[in-house]
Amino acid sequence: MGATSKLLLIFLLLAGGVGSVFVVVALSTRQPIEDQTEMHRRGYAVRSKWFLFVTLFLLAAFVATLPFFPYLSRVTAQGPALRVPVIAQQFTFIMPSHLPLKQRIIFEVTSRDVNHNFGIYNSKGELIAQTQAMPDYVNNLEVTFQKSGRYTVRCLEYCGVGHALMEKEFTVGGY
Amino acid sequence: MKLYLAFGLIIAAVMMLVGLTMRMAQAQWLSIPPDVFYELLTLHGAGMIIALVVCAMGGLWFLMRRRISLSAPLAVAAWALLMLGVAGVVISVVFGHYAGLYTFLYPLPFIGSWPGWATGVFLIGMMLINIGWMIWCFQILGAVLRAYGGLRGALGWNFVWCPKAFAAAGHEPPPPEAFPAVVAGLDGLITGMVAMLLGVALLVRWIDPRVLIDPLWAKNLTYLYMHALANLIIYMLAAFIYVGLSYVTKREYHTSKVFVIAWWSSLVFILTNYFHHLYMDVSSQPQILQYFGELSSYLTAIPVTAVTVFGALMLVWRSRTRWTLGAVFMYSGLIGWVVGGIGAEIDASVPFNLHLHNTLWVPAHFHTYLLGGCLLFVMGWVFLLLESRSEHSTSKLMRSLIFTLSFGGMVVFLLGFYFGGATGVPRRYDTQPLPGPLIAQFATIGVIIMLLGFTLAFFEGLRLRSGFSADRMLWPQNLRDDIS
Repeated sequence: MGATSKLLLIFLLLAGGVGSVFVVVALSTRQPIEDQTEMHRRGYAVRSKWFLFVTLFLLAAFVATLPFFPYLSRVTAQGPALRVPVIAQQFTFIMPSHLPLKQRIIFEVTSRDVNHNFGIYNSKGELIAQTQAMPDYVNNLEVTFQKSGRYTVRCLEYCGVGHALMEKEFTVGGY
Repeated sequence: MKLYLAFGLIIAAVMMLVGLTMRMAQAQWLSIPPDVFYELLTLHGAGMIIALVVCAMGGLWFLMRRRISLSAPLAVAAWALLMLGVAGVVISVVFGHYAGLYTFLYPLPFIGSWPGWATGVFLIGMMLINIGWMIWCFQILGAVLRAYGGLRGALGWNFVWCPKAFAAAGHEPPPPEAFPAVVAGLDGLITGMVAMLLGVALLVRWIDPRVLIDPLWAKNLTYLYMHALANLIIYMLAAFIYVGLSYVTKREYHTSKVFVIAWWSSLVFILTNYFHHLYMDVSSQPQILQYFGELSSYLTAIPVTAVTVFGALMLVWRSRTRWTLGAVFMYSGLIGWVVGGIGAEIDASVPFNLHLHNTLWVPAHFHTYLLGGCLLFVMGWVFLLLESRSEHSTSKLMRSLIFTLSFGGMVVFLLGFYFGGATGVPRRYDTQPLPGPLIAQFATIGVIIMLLGFTLAFFEGLRLRSGFSADRMLWPQNLRDDIS
């Protein structure tokens, strides 16, 4: 199961959980009516715990995601790597058609006209990395290809009526 | 309010048909040239946001007018400017074939396949819409500040920090619906001015092509405005929950200290969350803003889930709720808000955004909270009014039919976006790579079922409208009677 499939599963479980809570609360209106003062007393007690849980969970999630941020520090950006310039323009990418396997690559992505996006899909159609291609700026995207094969770059930022046609294929390793 | 609501709902209905057309094209059941597809997409995006903003403006204005003095002619003037702007957008797209999208990124409007005049008319149209919006913000903010003792009073500052002195002086905090009004007024004006700055820069560029604009600066300003506006819609419609759910549950939503602090935090987060739109500007955007963007996006969930939604569930819990069609729509809208929020939080996580950014996951989450949240709040509100003034309600059979078709179809439609996003299908593609077309076919069926439900709701609304009597009191008055 790919990373995004797991995300979808987590989302569906959470959405199902939310739906269930709402159904249970809606069905509670069939029970004898509870005085609002009493309901407030009990409800606020639950809310305090819920507030604490949500806050701690979100802060923990923030800390947990930090190591996976794709941003390169100045030091790592200048480390040994194959630098591959990529120029995006309506409606193509100018870049090499073959790249090495298991070598640290830094794509230096820019645009010649409007905003584009440089999204790399593997042979299974999974989106493995992306960055914006913006005129006047260069975005450095670090990728190390672990599998040889055919990869497809697609534009993921609307760039004009030929947007959906803007793609480029390249191979990795001895493919 | 009728002017705003009627216009908003008509535009929303037309734009849903436009949306259906686009989904059918992506399903390969309809052949549309790419330029026409993107014109429709431009129209759909702009139209839907404007429709929902207008509904929220009308609803909140109506709710506040019950408590404070608001000028009707000024509200009509703001509406007229909005209409003028909408006319500009329609002319630009229909006659000028402008297809740069509603959330466009500089310099696309100037390097498109459409004529230059279409770009100019589109920009002027959007600026008129923004001016209408800002007039409304000025009006509502000014009136709220006058009524509740300035910014300090309207934000409940003394109520939170000096509660004893506040109570001893015999003061009462503003009602719950005043907080969406003050937040919409403040954040709406701040981001509206940002949009004016960007709009003027773009107009100057349109007049003189030698003028160059920094694309990253323009991108930040674009997302600050667009994100805040989309967010404000749902925050403004929270006022419907405070008043509408109180009515159907026969309970009162109180202004508490926690509630006030929650709105203070929303006031800030609405302005700081937009950074998550620029996560994939991996080197150009300052890194500190990327970290701040994720933290801010996460923290947004706290006031929503721990205060407003939790408070709404407390209202319903073991209450005397009458599950009329209006109550069902309004309550279901809360689910759309929360579930859309979960989708948004996943996308706002940088490591996940790397795989989901600008895939169908993006329209998935915002359709969930705009269609499954905001639109249902508006429909819930309309039906609560109709039920109250006609003193009739919908039969159980019809209610079940409308709910099953509307909600069931919506779930199928939205799942199409989520599955598409998880499989990496890009958004804003007229022809999608596999499995996009197959998913679009299921989604299209979902849309048709949902629209069938909405059509039944429309005719049911007409039936209730026929029993309408102007002599009957508006239901907010009934609400007070019920509570007392």
